Amino acid sequence: MHIPDGILPLPVTGAGYAATAAITWYSIRKIKQKEDPRQDIPKASLLTAAFFVASWIHIPVPPASVHLVLNGLLGALLGYYAFPAILIGLFFQAVMLGHGGLTTLGVNAMIMGLPAIIAHHIFRLRKWGGGESRRKTGAFGFLAGVVAVGVSVAMFVVILLTNLPAELNVISERAAIFALAIAHIPVIFIEGTITALVTTFLRRVRPGILDGV
Amino acid sequence: MKLGVVDEYTNLDSPFHRWDPRYKLIGLITLVFAFSFVRDLRLLLAMAAVTITIYAISRLPAAFIVKRLRYPSLFLLAIVLTLPFLSGGDVLISLGSIAVRQEGLLAALLIATRFTCILIIGMVLLGTTPLLTNIKAMRALGLPDIMADMALLAFRYLQEIGRDLRHMQTSMRLRGFKERRFSPGGLKTLAWLSGSLLVYSYERSESIYKAMILRGYGHAPQRKSEFQASEKDTLALIAIILVAAAFIVGDISLGHNTGTLLK
Repeated sequence: MHIPDGILPLPVTGAGYAATAAITWYSIRKIKQKEDPRQDIPKASLLTAAFFVASWIHIPVPPASVHLVLNGLLGALLGYYAFPAILIGLFFQAVMLGHGGLTTLGVNAMIMGLPAIIAHHIFRLRKWGGGESRRKTGAFGFLAGVVAVGVSVAMFVVILLTNLPAELNVISERAAIFALAIAHIPVIFIEGTITALVTTFLRRVRPGILDGV
Repeated sequence: MKLGVVDEYTNLDSPFHRWDPRYKLIGLITLVFAFSFVRDLRLLLAMAAVTITIYAISRLPAAFIVKRLRYPSLFLLAIVLTLPFLSGGDVLISLGSIAVRQEGLLAALLIATRFTCILIIGMVLLGTTPLLTNIKAMRALGLPDIMADMALLAFRYLQEIGRDLRHMQTSMRLRGFKERRFSPGGLKTLAWLSGSLLVYSYERSESIYKAMILRGYGHAPQRKSEFQASEKDTLALIAIILVAAAFIVGDISLGHNTGTLLK
């Protein structure tokens, strides 16, 4: 779900970088407001590396397999560190694995990062109404995972199809959006389920992680 | 998954290897953005020529390109194989119900060339300087300290966490887990695998933080920049920016349109 170099025109890649810079600036400002911002940097960095590695885990979806995106879980756990973490993760992916690209780094960071921030706020709602339970953690974890990947897929498809250099005719554009959306439904539900399972697992094993970095 | 080794050829010697990493970042990033601006097909030849020249000067081996193109080319292939059939009005060749359309074909050509040229310039940027030096250069250019520290630390522990994952996957297989078979139970096991990876990393980060504090993290005096640009570095930067500007001006004066050639 990363847009490679060469497809998007300069105004779009430029706008992607500008929006990414603004959100990164805002995130860092929020991080610096903490009492000792240095304390959380190793935690956020190692979790960034762990998320990067966890995205190599393949889930079998017959007849193929999909890899995890986990931006919902990342948002839920990292809070304001989520956006910088995603930007760093995408940079490494572009550099080491050739996924995504350098000019599209800003756009891709928006596609993955904005939904992660939404997921962070959704996951915080589990404490709504006083206290949290295993069921609430699982339910809001599921919701965070589904919404994050759902919004990412929607942004990816719309940005890609509206920015191809050639005009697609309306019928083929609609058909392409529909086909891509249908193809991603199982992925979105798997992400939601995995996010729910991981959050309930963490709640049992190491609840401190769920309180955010 | 094996991490692509980008630092493999950073010890070679070429003008690009010797160029100040800060200037190289600014210059080559400006150039790739100028490439992404181009829409006129006549400029594609110039773009390819500039790319080939830069790659030749960098002395990176051809095998490096082939290795790096393997993954991203799949996405490109999908676009190149679908656009000529779906997009545009003028039919070039018609085979029964399948028609190859002119606009789609030209768009596919534009995308493929831009993609390959940007990727190759990106490889020169990243393949001629070690990744850690590039991150330090970005910090020298104004990347916030929090981002630079996070990137350096995450990079440092990627290989180790990757090894943790491989060990856990081997243990799971030895205990009879079939990772290629889909089942709800299997999904739960894979979720717990991801969760364990997060717990391990989280716990490790606590001892890393203590070790960093003991070594004076955050209290060290500001080090002076380790980069120093010579006159040659500045001239090279000006030359590359002029080339980038030429592409933008050239494209605007030619009409900034994929279809100009046809009219």
